[in-house]
Amino acid sequence: MKFARVLAILLSFVGCLPSLALSQTTSEPSIPPIGNLEAGNLQISNLQISNRATGPHIEVALVSEHNALQKGQTNWIGIVLSPEHEWHTYWQNPGDSGEPPAATWRSNADLTFGEFLWPVPKQIPVAHLVNYGYEGQNLLMLPLTVSNAVQAGEQVQITSELSWLVCKEDCIPGWATLTLTMPVAENEIDQPTPSQYAELFAQTRQQLPNAEKLSGKHEITESHLTVAYQAPYQSTWQLLPLRSDVIQHNQNQTQLTEGESTTNVIALSDYFIAANDDLQFLLTDGKQGYYLASQLNAGMLTNISTEPELSIALILIMAFVGGLILNIMPCVLPVLSFKALSISQQSMSVGQKLGYALGVLVSFNVFALLILMLKQGGEAVGWGFHMQEPMVIACLAFLFLFIALVLMDIGPSGSRFAGIGQSLVAGNGVSSQFFTGILAVVVASPCTAPFMAAALGVALVSPPVITFAIFNALALGFALPLTLIFISQRCKAFIPKPGPWMNTFKQFLIFPMLATVMWLLWVYVGQTNALAQFTLLLALLGFAMLFWLSSKLQGGKSSVAVLLALMLAGSNIMFTQQGQSSNTVKQSQDAFSQEKLQALRNSKQVVLVNMTADWCITCKVNEQVAFNDDALQSLLNQQNVHYLVGDWTNKNDSILNFLQQYQRSGVPLYVVYAGNKYETVLPQILTADMVINALNKAKEELSYD
Amino acid sequence: MINNRQSKGRILATFALAFGLIANAYAGVKVEQDAPTFSLPNTKGEQVSLADYKGKYVVLEWTNHLCPYVKKHYESDNIPAMQRNYTKQDVVWLSIISSAEGKQGYVSSQEADELTKSRNAAPTHVLFDTDGKVGKLYGAKTTPHMYIIDPSGTLKYAGGIDSIKSAKQSDIKKAVPYVEDGLTALLSGKEVKDKLTPPYGCSVKYKS
Repeated sequence: MKFARVLAILLSFVGCLPSLALSQTTSEPSIPPIGNLEAGNLQISNLQISNRATGPHIEVALVSEHNALQKGQTNWIGIVLSPEHEWHTYWQNPGDSGEPPAATWRSNADLTFGEFLWPVPKQIPVAHLVNYGYEGQNLLMLPLTVSNAVQAGEQVQITSELSWLVCKEDCIPGWATLTLTMPVAENEIDQPTPSQYAELFAQTRQQLPNAEKLSGKHEITESHLTVAYQAPYQSTWQLLPLRSDVIQHNQNQTQLTEGESTTNVIALSDYFIAANDDLQFLLTDGKQGYYLASQLNAGMLTNISTEPELSIALILIMAFVGGLILNIMPCVLPVLSFKALSISQQSMSVGQKLGYALGVLVSFNVFALLILMLKQGGEAVGWGFHMQEPMVIACLAFLFLFIALVLMDIGPSGSRFAGIGQSLVAGNGVSSQFFTGILAVVVASPCTAPFMAAALGVALVSPPVITFAIFNALALGFALPLTLIFISQRCKAFIPKPGPWMNTFKQFLIFPMLATVMWLLWVYVGQTNALAQFTLLLALLGFAMLFWLSSKLQGGKSSVAVLLALMLAGSNIMFTQQGQSSNTVKQSQDAFSQEKLQALRNSKQVVLVNMTADWCITCKVNEQVAFNDDALQSLLNQQNVHYLVGDWTNKNDSILNFLQQYQRSGVPLYVVYAGNKYETVLPQILTADMVINALNKAKEELSYD
Repeated sequence: MINNRQSKGRILATFALAFGLIANAYAGVKVEQDAPTFSLPNTKGEQVSLADYKGKYVVLEWTNHLCPYVKKHYESDNIPAMQRNYTKQDVVWLSIISSAEGKQGYVSSQEADELTKSRNAAPTHVLFDTDGKVGKLYGAKTTPHMYIIDPSGTLKYAGGIDSIKSAKQSDIKKAVPYVEDGLTALLSGKEVKDKLTPPYGCSVKYKS
């Protein structure tokens, strides 16, 4: 602190000098217009053509790496800026104030001038502001090519109209016209001799940013910029934007490293106007520099529109393979193997052969249509979405039990319901083939095979055409094995000859069926409660018993028993309600739903809602920084504090609606509620303390009751 | 492993908090939001408050008469002409000096009045912000750094005086005159086209 004050006094003292010098050079009331001004730095002798000039506190020179220019290769020339001790010139982005050196080039010969190569700059603090620049001698080099039209041996004049700003704390602008005369080499093969500046060129090359270009992704919140990139090596990295109006240069940059990925959190400039443009940075740790181009992380948008199109063929193949594998999943295999074994040996009609595949295709398309319609209606659904309905679970439990009963040969015998199970599963008519297809899809619906999840994930966020394409690929994969057996004699040959072993196998298949029923009951209790599960178990037992009765009874009585069984099942399914979850273990984190939030608010609880997504850099930064805190975690575990997480990685309309309530179109969004009486939106860049304070404030609000 | 990660998280959280606080200390202003109110002494020693000018357009100009970029706009009569023109149209023009005592651009009341006279300038007031509080409140970084506030007290423009970041007078004619364009638009009941532009010039010579 003391040191800073001494420095300030010292600076202000020295500061008087340049201002005096300046007033000599430029304060004449009638400054001549443009032409003279350019050569008008009075301290520069403008009578003779020279490659060097002197301004207050600085010397500048136009130099070349070699003593001659070479045709057919890149020549290097440059401007050497030599400010006095403690004075500095600027980088291409000067920071909070200042101005980079600028030059326009011309020549009497046909030369092509490139752009300055800027060495990695230093950060130079000025009071509480920050500049980027170079203290001491620095060379701004640029490439130069000589046209073939230029005669070898010709003397070429290179002229630079240079302007600069040299500063300590006070600043002095300068202008000069520098001219360098040098020959074009006679011989194109000989290396021209290095000039006295060759060493400086070599040194400067060491200070230039690395040739390797990096890329990153950035996000913009109200107050901060987060940029994620892969750092070339472990170090403390700073991102210096090439534009002055992107970040607050005087703010510390927070760096987070997680695995391969490094993220810098930087305070946004007040003068930054958000756009979708790429941002250009120099990534530097003070020693090395790398240019880094960062794209706006559009997250959701890119997820939907670009990825599926890029790899649509791959996704379709994945869906097809997933469909194939689905055949051997435990819920499907028994039904299908039974079907395969019951094929009659006599030849089938074309309809019979393709009936099954048709049934599968139709069911998958109905499924796709259903999903699209629900999506249109604002519901977010996925494969197996119906499994979220306990009513559907109960329904499937009855269906699987029924199949098990059929396999046990328990079923109505003497009524007109006789053989329904048999014909559905094992019949050979076109319609029974078709219904086997539907049945197979229904029993397959609770299962997901490898490769399917990814394909379906894409299907759900894609345009309808692609959704249908993916579902049909899945259907074809699923229908293929059985259809092959139906069509091809050779495939049929793989099936063992019928015999008494078939009966044993049939009995064995009962067990996977019953296992599926048990699994469904387990899912069911998670969705409802123990009492509802017990009621369903009783209904299943009654259902099985009534079927057994129907097999023992004759004629009408048998039908009555079947009808009773169906009514029992029907009534149980109808009266299934989404009960209170019996799960009483309180977890610190819960999945977000609008209903859950409303219920918690109505029961006067403190709720923290975190809307996040895997592709959101800012969200991940916050989860690393703020939510990874012990004090916060223990607060979230308290009885009346609830933490709801909404994952927007995939499209989810209820989360979108929630975001829109807060005029947001993206994540992150953090809201703290105290019942229905208080709510506050937290900033998009969080610290643990901010969250803890907000939660404590909310608890306080509740305690005023 | 878990402990390690958590302690790392804690350290990072502390960092995050630290930069959060710094950010708050120098919070700049935002266009289309209320301009923060302030009160500063003028060359006669009277306190001038922004609140006094509710109902009028107010221009804030951060200045330092020795800064080459300020000289560019005074010696070319660019800023003085604007001051004469707009104060005639009932616009309030406040030139604010945030140079600390002993630093470049720091002047006495008498010197300030003499400068106004010699430069044919016509600000409504020249105000002294020697401790730099108002400059930091507005996030003023450079001289010149310009702000326009509308009659309801809303900030309508913040940024540079024009678009070409140089100390050359010859560039003034080629540049987009942001402040003039902004005032012209506002006085004729239109919206400002460029509300936010990067300021350029010398750094404001703050005490710290």
